[in-house]
Amino acid sequence: MDNNPPPNPSPWLRLFRRNPNATTTRLRRRQATVSFFTRRLSQIIVALLAVGYFWLLILPSPRLGRGTYIDENALQPGQVNTYWNWGDVHAADVYLEQLELLRDSNATSHQRAQFLMNEFAKLGLSPATQKYSFQSSSNHGSINGANAYAILASPRGPRNEAMVISASWLSRIGEGDGTLNLRGVSTVLALARFLKNYSLWAKDIVFVIGDGYLDGMHAWLNAYHGVKQSNLEAEPLELTSGVIWTALNIDYPGHSFSHLGLFFEGLNGRLPNQDLMNSVQHIARYTGQVPVTVYDHLEWRDPSAQPSELTFLPSPLCHHPEIKEFAYRAKNILRHIGYQARGRASGVHGLYHQFRIDAVTVFAVPAIGPHGFHALGRIVESSLRTMNNLLERLHASFFFFILTTPDQFMKIGSYLPSAILISVAMMFRGLRCWVDAGWRPDHPHSKKGDHSPRIPVWSRRSRPVLHVFAMMLMTHLCGVVLFLIVRSSFFLYRQKLLTPLIVLAVSLVPFVVPKIYYPFHQGVAPAWLLLKALNLCFASTVISTITVLNFSLAALLAVALGLPLLLAQPSKSTPLSWFKYILYTLLASGWLFLFQEVRDAIWQWEILSVWFAPFFCLVYTPLVIQAGIVCILPHS
Amino acid sequence: MKLALRWLLVFSSTCNLVYGLTTEIFDENLKINHLQDGRVSTTFTFETVLKGASPRDPRTLNTQDASQHYVLFPLTLGQILREYAVTELHLTLNAGNWNYDRWGYPEEKGVGTGAELWAWMGTGAPTSVDDRWKGLRNALAGLFCASLGSLDEQRTTSPTRSYFPQGVLPNWNGNSTHQLRHASLPSEHVCTENLTPFLKLLPCKSLSGVASLLNPHRLFDADWHGMSVHVLWLGAAGIKVRLTFQSLMDPLRSSISNNQNWSFQSLFDHTIERNCPAANSSTVQVTLPSSDSYSAVPEPPVVSGSLATYDVLTAQKPLDISVSRRGEFQYPSSFQAVAPISVTRTLQGFNQANGRLSLVLRNHRSVPQSLVYLETMPWLVQFHLHTLQARVEGRIHDDVISDISYTAAVPHSRPTTFQAMLRLPPNSVTRLNMDVDKAFLRYTEHPPDAQRGWDLPPAVLTPLILDTNGTHLSDEYRLGEPIYTSTLLVDVATPDFSMPYNVIIFTCSLVAFIFGSIFNLLTRKFVVLHLDSNQGN
Repeated sequence: MDNNPPPNPSPWLRLFRRNPNATTTRLRRRQATVSFFTRRLSQIIVALLAVGYFWLLILPSPRLGRGTYIDENALQPGQVNTYWNWGDVHAADVYLEQLELLRDSNATSHQRAQFLMNEFAKLGLSPATQKYSFQSSSNHGSINGANAYAILASPRGPRNEAMVISASWLSRIGEGDGTLNLRGVSTVLALARFLKNYSLWAKDIVFVIGDGYLDGMHAWLNAYHGVKQSNLEAEPLELTSGVIWTALNIDYPGHSFSHLGLFFEGLNGRLPNQDLMNSVQHIARYTGQVPVTVYDHLEWRDPSAQPSELTFLPSPLCHHPEIKEFAYRAKNILRHIGYQARGRASGVHGLYHQFRIDAVTVFAVPAIGPHGFHALGRIVESSLRTMNNLLERLHASFFFFILTTPDQFMKIGSYLPSAILISVAMMFRGLRCWVDAGWRPDHPHSKKGDHSPRIPVWSRRSRPVLHVFAMMLMTHLCGVVLFLIVRSSFFLYRQKLLTPLIVLAVSLVPFVVPKIYYPFHQGVAPAWLLLKALNLCFASTVISTITVLNFSLAALLAVALGLPLLLAQPSKSTPLSWFKYILYTLLASGWLFLFQEVRDAIWQWEILSVWFAPFFCLVYTPLVIQAGIVCILPHS
Repeated sequence: MKLALRWLLVFSSTCNLVYGLTTEIFDENLKINHLQDGRVSTTFTFETVLKGASPRDPRTLNTQDASQHYVLFPLTLGQILREYAVTELHLTLNAGNWNYDRWGYPEEKGVGTGAELWAWMGTGAPTSVDDRWKGLRNALAGLFCASLGSLDEQRTTSPTRSYFPQGVLPNWNGNSTHQLRHASLPSEHVCTENLTPFLKLLPCKSLSGVASLLNPHRLFDADWHGMSVHVLWLGAAGIKVRLTFQSLMDPLRSSISNNQNWSFQSLFDHTIERNCPAANSSTVQVTLPSSDSYSAVPEPPVVSGSLATYDVLTAQKPLDISVSRRGEFQYPSSFQAVAPISVTRTLQGFNQANGRLSLVLRNHRSVPQSLVYLETMPWLVQFHLHTLQARVEGRIHDDVISDISYTAAVPHSRPTTFQAMLRLPPNSVTRLNMDVDKAFLRYTEHPPDAQRGWDLPPAVLTPLILDTNGTHLSDEYRLGEPIYTSTLLVDVATPDFSMPYNVIIFTCSLVAFIFGSIFNLLTRKFVVLHLDSNQGN
């Protein structure tokens, strides 16, 4: 304590000397700030919510995006001469003819793999095949298949780095419903024939033809990385190469194409490094002279694009370029959210990301022209040269983005706050409830004729947290049971019959759970308030954590949970409480009626370990059930 | 006077030359083989023998060394050898991974990817073997423009079970022993800057003789290339320096009609225009194709078996040997295994904390095969030796691995040396698996291109040679030619050394600072208390 200052302090020292009243002033200021916030908390929450939801709505705005660029200087996309020529196109045509013969003769997976292996062997590459089989409860038994792959050892390369060119037997069109990717496969074969004539490869090139749609490639990648999966039996790979940094998947289902579509979403919401996508985009545009689109959505400016879907708008608005641009971007973002939130891979490339391999699918959007093998070969050749230039793994945190148009993207800073703001509002509300639960207003009896305002006297009341935690834990345990039921083959075979029963069972949970002894009396906080506080805090934490893992899922949760959880409250009138309760039950378990969606999610979990299904059962449903419980608990 | 001086000069240099030619012999040779997959391997060998010389006794390192007068023997190399009293030295600089399954054994057996240096040095010197080893690798780094200086203690091992002296080790007064030092650097890129100093060690440089075919533009476009320097003592016969350059060309790559024809002109873009006058012998040996449908131009003067030998000294110049075959080349559907085993080594797992080292060994022979397995690993990959497991056709076989000697790694200083004897059942596939830990590095230990990962040196498998009874020689076993596996690349946990990384660091620090104040605000209540001023004092 500096009670006796030196006799003649210099002006400089005086600056550092404390004003004796400073502490008091600071404390007052702090108290004033805190009370300002607490008094206006409701308004702040409303403001946060409004800004958050509005931000989500304007994500497609062209004003939020910025142009794509190449961050990694080593890539040098499109800086090379390409040598892929009509002779190679002819080779691809010849391969295609042979593949069509195979298709027409209904060749088995094994025969196909054998054929591909022989073709690779004729080129002097080291080929091999791999057989695999998956056991799944949702897909009527097992999935079998055989992959073929070959390795082009890089000249003078140490054999510890590799890049992959792959094509699956089934195209991604219709999510592997049976459309064949014959041209994609013949492109890979012709590329193998072509690329081995060059000595400039610094990395091994691995050509993989995966059987099926996702299953073959998944089996191959698991075997390559030595990962064991309990329901997968895959032969170990006979040939291996080094660490794979980048991969390119070719999907060419039509007989020609007009645009190249980029598909990039991976399993569990992982995205590839944007540099790879931007390089391919750049090369396709400037080397291949092929326009690029996001997914298979043609830009509205494109003459071959579908007529606008905005017919519900009045005609001057419908043709406004700004609105058309907004609609185009919104369509891309919705598709992105559809893949990412559900943790789905938008193509075979999505399987690579879990092994830290950056991969995209180059999808030849089927059309009657004008491009074919010639353009595709040149683009892939040049992209491989770019990938070959890499000296290090792609890094620089270029993994968080929303691609709104092929050459515009949103940075993490321009989309992340939307979901975060909503979750902050939920957290504030939760904390408010927590504080409210701790205090009880006692209104002293005012004497007659006393007109002074009635100031409530606050007294503490206890908050039995453990009881409420037990309640929450019960709902989450119900979620576990729900998940176990839904994934069982018994349920999946009788889905339409059992779903209503399960929804009914879920709706009974709120009646069972609060039966846990809860000390309902005057000195104790009402159960619903405490439950709501903890529910909101937990939901907010979940959302803000998920934002960096999988933004789309977080945004979906913010929309689905934000307002409903905030508004959960018991009503004085019983019918209204019941009505609310039914709404929450439907919100919690209504998704079970999306039969195909449930089956797909379970298949994805079992085969590809996509955690969307368990997450929905274990986190989302219990959170909404808790809100339902809040509604039917006694009001005070 | 001037004339007399000139005559003296001519006389003395002639004497020198005569002296040199009698005590130093230089032979050069080029061997060309056809491989199964259409490639052509070329091996240049340049041997200089210093007759009657012997390596320096390390105990005399403090005393003045005898002056060195060489005519053909490379002086710069000789100085290094004597400065550090090195008895035997082997240095290889290779680019690429030798594919034993397709290409068989190489002519020069040291084909590990990157740089490999091993030396035998005598003990008893005033300076320790390790100090001389350090000096040696730095001197060679300077001589060959290679990063041999980074073959430091973290990479140096002494694997005496796989590396034997190739020549004779002298026994000075009967109380001197020799020690082996070995290190390899798989990430070394070999290119022109290494070839130029290599050529400077040759008496005719690349101006004449067989060496004139060493055209860097073609050699460094090959599918595989490697150079090596070997120094060994032959006993009474003297010290031999062998310089070799191997490369693997693919005539099919540039061929439009898809045939295997080659000539000096097509392979090296050079022909032999004149002889190297210093060469005692200068030969080109070509392994002729087994089928009859070929023509070799010029007609080989000597053919023994399938080996044609040309004497460059007497051949007509310019010499451009070419072999052409009729018809297109067809890749065989399967390759005939030349090496007794084939091996694949991988590091499985994709996380940054641990992984699994996996070795797949195929024994192609119908007899059991024993081999010495050597693994030298930098400390950043640490073995869990108890998880080492051998499976033959899917079943665990404990008798595959025996006789393990293991020197555990010391973090930040010493590498692992793991040597074991393996016995592979006939015609079988054996899988060895071992869990490994990946180290967490100090941030100053990361290389500049940290995101690439670390190169791990190749493992070496040396088959034991069978004696006539079909059983292995028990005591003094003989080692066959070593088989080098491919190198590996390991990802250790690496911070993203880029701008966003710094942003994250700063943000985290900021959050950590702010946390304190927020926590204070939440847990304490600050109120203003007015104390009575009398009480205060």
